[in-house]
Amino acid sequence: MTAPAAGGDATKLRSVVYKDKSKPAEVRLSNINAAKAVSDAIRTSLGPRGMDKMIQSGNGEVTITNDGATILKQMNVIHPAAKMLVELSRAQDIEAGDGTTTVVVIAGALLQAAEKLLSRGIHPTAISESFQRAATHAVKILTSISTPIELNNREQLVRSASTSLNSKVVSQQSSQLAPLAVDAVFKVMQPGQERIDLNDIKVIKQLGGTTEDTELIDGIVFPHRTANVNGPKRIEKAKIGFIQFCISAPKTDMDHNVIVSDYAAMDRVLKEERTYILNIIKQIKKSGCNVLLIQKSILRDAVSDLALHFLDKIKVMVIKDVEREDVEFVCKSLSCRPIASLDHFTAENLSHAELVEEVGVGSSRMVKITGAQNAGKTVTLLVRGSNKLVLEEAHRSIHDALCVIRCLVRKKALIAGGGAPEIELALKLYSLADKMDGLDAICLKAYANALEVVPFTLAENAGLNAIQTVTELRSRHAKGETSAGINVRKGTITDILEEHVVQPLLVSISAVNLATETVRSILKIDDIVNTVT
Amino acid sequence: MVSLNPVRILKNEAEEDKAELARMSSFIGAIAIGELVKSTLGPKGMDKILISSGRSYGQVEVTNDGATILKSVGVDNPAAKILVDMSKVQDDEVGDGTTSVTVLASELLKEAEKLVEQKIHPQVIIAGWRKAVDVARKALRDFSMDNSADSERFREDLMNIARTTLSSKILSQHKEYFSKLAVDAILRLKGSGELSAIQIIKKKGGTLEESFLDEGFLLDKKVGVHQPKRIENAKILIANTPMDTDKIKVFGSHIKVDSMAKIAELESAEKEKMKDKVGKILKHNCNVFINRQLIYNYPEQLFADAGVAAIEHADFDGIERLALVTGGEIVSTFDNPELVKLGTCDVIEEIMIGEDLLLRFSGVALGEACTIVIRGATQQIIDEADRSLHDALCVLAATVKESRIVYGGGCSEMLMAVAVQEAAAKTPGKEAVAMEAFARALQQLPTIIADNAGYDSAELVSELRAAHANDSKSTKGLNMDKGEVGDMKTLGITESFVVKRQVLLSASEAAEMILRVDNIIKAAPRRRVEDRGHC
Repeated sequence: MTAPAAGGDATKLRSVVYKDKSKPAEVRLSNINAAKAVSDAIRTSLGPRGMDKMIQSGNGEVTITNDGATILKQMNVIHPAAKMLVELSRAQDIEAGDGTTTVVVIAGALLQAAEKLLSRGIHPTAISESFQRAATHAVKILTSISTPIELNNREQLVRSASTSLNSKVVSQQSSQLAPLAVDAVFKVMQPGQERIDLNDIKVIKQLGGTTEDTELIDGIVFPHRTANVNGPKRIEKAKIGFIQFCISAPKTDMDHNVIVSDYAAMDRVLKEERTYILNIIKQIKKSGCNVLLIQKSILRDAVSDLALHFLDKIKVMVIKDVEREDVEFVCKSLSCRPIASLDHFTAENLSHAELVEEVGVGSSRMVKITGAQNAGKTVTLLVRGSNKLVLEEAHRSIHDALCVIRCLVRKKALIAGGGAPEIELALKLYSLADKMDGLDAICLKAYANALEVVPFTLAENAGLNAIQTVTELRSRHAKGETSAGINVRKGTITDILEEHVVQPLLVSISAVNLATETVRSILKIDDIVNTVT
Repeated sequence: MVSLNPVRILKNEAEEDKAELARMSSFIGAIAIGELVKSTLGPKGMDKILISSGRSYGQVEVTNDGATILKSVGVDNPAAKILVDMSKVQDDEVGDGTTSVTVLASELLKEAEKLVEQKIHPQVIIAGWRKAVDVARKALRDFSMDNSADSERFREDLMNIARTTLSSKILSQHKEYFSKLAVDAILRLKGSGELSAIQIIKKKGGTLEESFLDEGFLLDKKVGVHQPKRIENAKILIANTPMDTDKIKVFGSHIKVDSMAKIAELESAEKEKMKDKVGKILKHNCNVFINRQLIYNYPEQLFADAGVAAIEHADFDGIERLALVTGGEIVSTFDNPELVKLGTCDVIEEIMIGEDLLLRFSGVALGEACTIVIRGATQQIIDEADRSLHDALCVLAATVKESRIVYGGGCSEMLMAVAVQEAAAKTPGKEAVAMEAFARALQQLPTIIADNAGYDSAELVSELRAAHANDSKSTKGLNMDKGEVGDMKTLGITESFVVKRQVLLSASEAAEMILRVDNIIKAAPRRRVEDRGHC
């Protein structure tokens, strides 16, 4: 504290001695404990040798996952402070997509540090402000130790994607999934633009096969069979029509009753229905369409059996139940426009594709459309898995990997993984703290110490001697080896960059920023009030 | 025997608290409310977690805003209710100072309690307080200054006010950034104070520093499939009309037909009707159509044919604001295209925030309109940032209207307290005691600010009082970063005169009202009678 001479000793004393009232202290402690409990719960799933959690939800469904955000989402915590950590991991999921466990572990460690500082009588606001300053320093340091990359360096991108995948169930297949993720992102990237809409990458889960069978399809896939009974299963040079109206008996928006008074009338009604449908079918045939996509309708049958029969006859492949949310994606990938009324069903509104075929995967079948003319920048990832749990987890892992690549496109810099950046941060912040005086110095040191939790946990989870490993790591970094990290596979400390364990800078920066922000807001709370609304 | 029982005047379940008891109950209630929000006061004030137990059970809010806390806690005590209402009024009126006003009122009542114990009649206390308020208000007014003539300095004042308001909130670390944001937004309004032209959009993800001010208007919607994504010189028709089907709104309307062909005819007639409607809409010569309700596939396609961007399902708030900023009006019938005012804007385009696509309307008719996008780690942080920013905007809007400013950091409170004390010394009679009590209550505000920051309040406040007693125009106040008495002028801790005056007046009025009470009557609850009506 740089108090002016006039203040003298009195000012110094004043600022340090902080007597908290008992209730605020209790509330704060309970908040910190709850948040720490959350972070302890998922600590063991950090890193490549991290363990998975099995979560049984209220309705008996089981999820097995290693993804921090998913675990926390399913955990259903009640304590308000614990809820904030759950939100935190979700925010990291949105922002960076990866590092959702890391961010919660860091937040837990920071809170633990704050608890110690509080017990030494430092005012919570002072801690909170110091932490913010520490975070700013940390971001600067992280940026300074990062290495810029070029987007055309595919090798690098694949490496960072596989680092993210290595901690998941699918780590065995990381060498295969990582390139897929990179390719997928590159396919949807608009040249010259730095934003990537992950909605353009459709991930479809299909049970059966193994994760290795996961493939990238340049086109779209409908995960169900064609609606035809004995129509064509494979059409080359397809002309695709995407309709939003229904081919079934007409129906008005109001309720209606058809009154049939005698046998002749019944016959007539049936005949009329037939002609009505035939009329539609004729129009379809006239346009030359041979693949029909039909949007799902909740009001009535999208396509009646009678219509199917006719469509079979004129050899049109029918794919029904396209969800309304998917319309945009389908239109983008086939560059077609949806047709909402029969009079628009003309040849110019159809789009063309090289091949549409129904293929069997495992026991189920699905329809693939590839080679669409002037297709938009979309791509489909077909994820396979031997059981539902693996499938779900593979999906989440791939999402993480995609996010990692997207981070790199947004901020083109990499840093080493394996706990290297955290220990480097801790050391640099420590030396920075030595040059300061006053409260900031103490808080900064505590902050630096807290960051060591990441390498510590990494080592612990890998079954290494945590203290031995972390201290060795620290001394290596002190000697200037900024990229020394924990090599979990070999169980030693090596230059982690040589092992190609890298992660995007954005993930680390956002982890530090978000964790600090949340810790600060938890620290500032001194009361929990029940409200009526 | 009957005469021995106390005479019952009130209904069976009605209650009555008399004189001492009534006064005590209102004192206790009001003081409890004051204690509740006390710790949130000042730059180092703490936050509270609010847990809902009602309909939205388990929802968590973290806040520092007095009005929000008081609004959410349900109170039963009538005096406490008065304080809660008062802070709500302060929130509506000037937007900030909601905690200060509550704390001041409860401190006044604390002092009153002591005086009543000394057998001073409440009416005498009230008379003394009235004099004290007059003196304090005059002192505050004399002390206030007006820099609105000099636009450079006025902007600096606004920045200072925004910084002071934000420094007690979650945004304190980013106050520079957000003050600029708020001041820019307010200055765009050009003195109209129309806060609804400033739209705040909250998007999770990113950090607080990634929040930004966007000129124009953002709508969290997408245009329909196959419609233009970017429109220049947009002519916007804003509507609230069903675009699914024009249903006959008679319950149980049926159509009875005897053949399928007739149903097919009816169906096509319905389509025709929709086509007519779209045709009518297109006659308005608009190229953007925004509807509050759903737009079905068929009309969507017709709009796409006409090259009109159709946006469905815009929420009501969005529609009204859109109508305001683009200068259009909301229509529901389309028969008279010449009478309808269309909204206009230069460019409509898609932008990406976080993972979401939003539509931006830039160059809108109401040039002052703008949007502030708040980013933050968790929902709680974003919500709190929203509230803080709202406070700052309210204060700034109030300052733009009434441009006088005063200094914060306990400076103006101490100034008023000293003035009141001096006046008390010159006043004969019991009222002087009440005036002194008023001065003591005013001094409590800087005391609490210092206490919350963990400093030695007795020492600091006495230093401050001495500074003000020696120099009636002193600008000394509490510097909470260093924990010492400092010059508020050089530190730039500035507050709006309106807010301060409002705090003084509402607090004393509310306290006076509570003090006047000598009897609390609780009416008997209305009996629930069995419903004999027909179902």
